[in-house]
Amino acid sequence: MAMSINVGYFARESIQSFRRNWVMSLGAVITIYLSLLLVGVFIATGFVVNSVVESVEDKVTVQVFLKDGAATEDVNALQAVLLKDPLAAGVDYTSKDAAYKKFQEDMKESPEIIDQLEGNPLPASLDVTLKEPKTVELMVAKIKKDPLFLVVADRPDNPDKSLRYGQGVVNKLFALTRVIRIIEIVFVVMLGVVSLIFINNTIRLAIYARRKEIGIMRLVGASNWFIRTPFLMEGVLQALIGASLAIVSVVGLQAAIVPRLKEALPFLAVTLSGAATTQIALSLIIAGVFIGVGGSWLAMTRYLKV
Amino acid sequence: MSDLTGQTATQVSPESVAASARTGPTMISLRGVSKFYSPEKPALADCNVEIHAGEFVFIVGHSGSGKSTFIRLLLRELLPTRGQIIVAGQDLVKLKNWKVPYLRRNIGCVFQDFKLLPNKTSFENIAFALEVIGKSRHVIRTQVPEVLRLVGLEDKIESYPDELSGGEQQRVSIARAFVNRPPLLLCDEPTGNLDPQTSLGIMKLLERINKTGTTVLVATHDRDMVDNMRRRVIALEGGRVIRDQDRGVYGYVD
Repeated sequence: MAMSINVGYFARESIQSFRRNWVMSLGAVITIYLSLLLVGVFIATGFVVNSVVESVEDKVTVQVFLKDGAATEDVNALQAVLLKDPLAAGVDYTSKDAAYKKFQEDMKESPEIIDQLEGNPLPASLDVTLKEPKTVELMVAKIKKDPLFLVVADRPDNPDKSLRYGQGVVNKLFALTRVIRIIEIVFVVMLGVVSLIFINNTIRLAIYARRKEIGIMRLVGASNWFIRTPFLMEGVLQALIGASLAIVSVVGLQAAIVPRLKEALPFLAVTLSGAATTQIALSLIIAGVFIGVGGSWLAMTRYLKV
Repeated sequence: MSDLTGQTATQVSPESVAASARTGPTMISLRGVSKFYSPEKPALADCNVEIHAGEFVFIVGHSGSGKSTFIRLLLRELLPTRGQIIVAGQDLVKLKNWKVPYLRRNIGCVFQDFKLLPNKTSFENIAFALEVIGKSRHVIRTQVPEVLRLVGLEDKIESYPDELSGGEQQRVSIARAFVNRPPLLLCDEPTGNLDPQTSLGIMKLLERINKTGTTVLVATHDRDMVDNMRRRVIALEGGRVIRDQDRGVYGYVD
């Protein structure tokens, strides 16, 4: 019963203090909002980059071009060897006709290119998909050493021209995501510190504004947590308002930007799932509460002697 | 005239009260207490004071004699540099920090500047003190009007501090200190801001509270008050107890 009275008291106190001190509180809310907005945008960007990387990874295959008229048994034998390789996830045969059809499909925007082709210049190929995109160079090296490869290759005189794979793309993407992640962390930490300082400051002012009440509370024997809780709740309140605004903005930005990105970069799989949005919202709320509690605690330990 | 009769009454009754109080259980005990703010000059030096439950005691002395330090030590706003302090059965030196609020619930406090919240009525000011130590609304609704009646302010229950005279404000402050019925009431210059007539009323009120069995300790430099009341007087000078006598007087010539 005493608890129910207290909750009402704390809520009343923190909201009252928020209103009394609304300019500073608004400042704190806006700072937290901007910080969390950036955090949200970073996380969303992270998700998008990850989805792009994954889609690119899916496309990492080693294509072994076969010369016209290569013996079927040799091709089958090479396919069997590659299938047994622990690095390979699958090996598919693409015939000359299938390659041509796919080419037509890809180039349907510019039919004049197809018109210029005489007959079907495209080779048949064995398409090796990999379990781990990072092992692509290793796989290529293995294929080159295989004696059957030289027998069936499109251009045995120049083995490199008979192979096509996403040289270096994957590694570059990995390096890029690592850099992005480090920048993200640095920014998030800096913004977190700024928000902490801002909340610390508003709570300091709130403590100053209520120093008379606090003095009387100490005098009549209010317990330490009783004196502290309203300030803690005020900080959390500010942080939660900031977090909610940030979530609304991130969702809005996402609705505005993701479709345009998709349009602008059709060859990349730009997606941001609903689950990712939920995860972003949750992270922002948790980060907000953390900043709110942290900032208030900082101020209380420094300015509120109990 | 009524004041005169009041004075004679206070001169007769305290003897019996003090006599019985002196034998009661110990409320405050200071043994060899010293407090240094700076290493050269002590605020209190080797004080030994024993105050029993139910006593009415004046602490007198000039500014800087150690009165305020004495009060603050009893509230455990300060810890002594040396010595032992026991208040209401608690050893203040050994008392854990988190237990200090519970000690203070047993000590009512009255100050020269009243320490009332200006944006709260008399009722709300007293209710606030109960609310923050977790008393229920029912307790607040019954006890606050009762204590305001006790201090003679039943008709000022909805008044704000700036609508009250100094004496009335001090009565609200006493009501707040006493509403929880603490066994000990500490008053630091309770009449410092009041004219002699009003001060007398406040002292009468403290005396009434003392008669309910509450130990009352008044730090003051109000000579007339001390001389009129004829209660136990502990005189401090330069942080030392220079005099401790029953039914004493202020005793300085200046």
